[in-house]
Amino acid sequence: MSHLDVRGKKIELNEEGFLTDSKQWDKQVAEALAQAAEGIDNLTPEHWMIIEFIRNHYLETNMAPMVRSICKTTGLPLRRIYELFPSGPAKGACKIAGLPKPDGCV
Amino acid sequence: MVSEKVQKDPYLDRIRNLKPDQLDSALIPFKQLLDRKTVANLQSCVNCGLCAETCHYYQATGELEAIPAYKLRLVKSLFKKLSTMLGGLKEKPDVTGILDSQIIERWVDSLYGRCTLCGRCALNCTMGINITRLIRMARTTLASIDLVPPELQSTVTTAVEKGNNMGIPREEWIDTLQWLSEELQMEVGDQKALLPVDKPGAKLLYTVNPREPKFFPLSLLATAKIFYAAKERWTVASDYYDVTNYGLYSGNDDEAGLLSSRLRESMVKLGAKALVLGECGHGYNSNRWEAPEWLAAEDRFEVKSIIQIIADYIRQGRIKLDRSRNQKLVTLHDPCNLVRLGGIIEEQRFILNNAVTNFVEMHPNREKNYCCCGGGGQLAMTRYAKRRLEAGKIKADQIRKTGAQVVVAPCHNCIDQLSELNREYDLKVEIKTVSEVVADALVIEKKEK
Repeated sequence: MSHLDVRGKKIELNEEGFLTDSKQWDKQVAEALAQAAEGIDNLTPEHWMIIEFIRNHYLETNMAPMVRSICKTTGLPLRRIYELFPSGPAKGACKIAGLPKPDGCV
Repeated sequence: MVSEKVQKDPYLDRIRNLKPDQLDSALIPFKQLLDRKTVANLQSCVNCGLCAETCHYYQATGELEAIPAYKLRLVKSLFKKLSTMLGGLKEKPDVTGILDSQIIERWVDSLYGRCTLCGRCALNCTMGINITRLIRMARTTLASIDLVPPELQSTVTTAVEKGNNMGIPREEWIDTLQWLSEELQMEVGDQKALLPVDKPGAKLLYTVNPREPKFFPLSLLATAKIFYAAKERWTVASDYYDVTNYGLYSGNDDEAGLLSSRLRESMVKLGAKALVLGECGHGYNSNRWEAPEWLAAEDRFEVKSIIQIIADYIRQGRIKLDRSRNQKLVTLHDPCNLVRLGGIIEEQRFILNNAVTNFVEMHPNREKNYCCCGGGGQLAMTRYAKRRLEAGKIKADQIRKTGAQVVVAPCHNCIDQLSELNREYDLKVEIKTVSEVVADALVIEKKEK
């Protein structure tokens, strides 16, 4: 287990860098996670569109959205999602949006 | 052995607070699994130690707890307490304290935490002991008292309760299939091209790894394109379509059997001729080889890997490939459950030799190949993630030595682990399924107007 220090706040991560308590998430935490998980220093408006959609979807349904919904809602083509988050929708985008690690082969 | 940070873990707390009757109840399934073959396996180890070097965990760490013979001994020591000198079971063994929390903790740490059930030790055992089976048997014993590591159990439970291991709702699966149908139509220039759902009388029922529709649909699109080019009569099911079966890894045979029975339900409902398993190593092993055991019933239809189907298309001239479209240097990873444990060894090589210009083997390969270290449920068990990446270094080194730019792996589980190794060890490779490489080389004959 490791920690992220976000403005003096200690944010706990699991062995794979996902938040252990998704309630600890806020935009500063997202920025720190983006740096830690994907090496992204500056999240662009495109990144935020995706992150916010995933976050809201999770808060409503307790699940990560399908990549289909991400494309449909943001209007971004699929390949762009992979460019923006090289670790993929699960280990990249969902992690930065503060979701727990999804079940399955990810 | 157990670091401080893990001690706060509710799962370990559960182990440490096991009551004697819970511990005793684990002996019942354990004893039931002791058929003659298993007993012979348990008694045959001569401690030659050759298995140590065959295990990626031992190679990576040099730790005693990773040696396959040590793992076997953990299981054997319980058997010895229950058996007579001649190997029969004692009629009335004194079971008091036979199992305790410390023993269980050691079992969990080595048998779940340092093993991918890859079968490499068994292949290299001088006595021919099926160590992998014994380790899974121990997992079955642990599963019987609800001690599957929670993150692994969570994936099994999601599959059991929701019908697929990522909990994808039916309407979202259908919506994704429609979306992919539109993409396919654009790619092949034919409005009639689609990914058919619940089509009665289709020849093939195709099953997928839920991570394809959920996060990585391009591999499913690639397979659909191959089916289209081969003019195949195929379908997917709207309800049970998940090729994975993490019950193989958790050790719970009832849940494993249930998951495999559902694909058979889809077969019966749709009347298809063959059950075709998507690119998933353990899904192939589970559904092709283990399911008839779990369900105690022979399948009345063919169960095939998509790899065999694609190879047949090439042989029969049903698809045409242009190798020059894949010019990069390609190497191949052999998923343990498909190759060493599944027996599909040459088909993927035949396909690649027809689909790419430059193909190079990694070494060792085929049934001697090293596990990527993502199998055995490791990808799910976050608590062992560091070990998984550490032990995966052997695979990373193997890949690097080939100088390849593309790694093909006919298994989505392997692909996820390989993607992590790619980042961890800075390999700078692309990682693809067999279908994706074949789809890139497909020559689609345009429809006549």
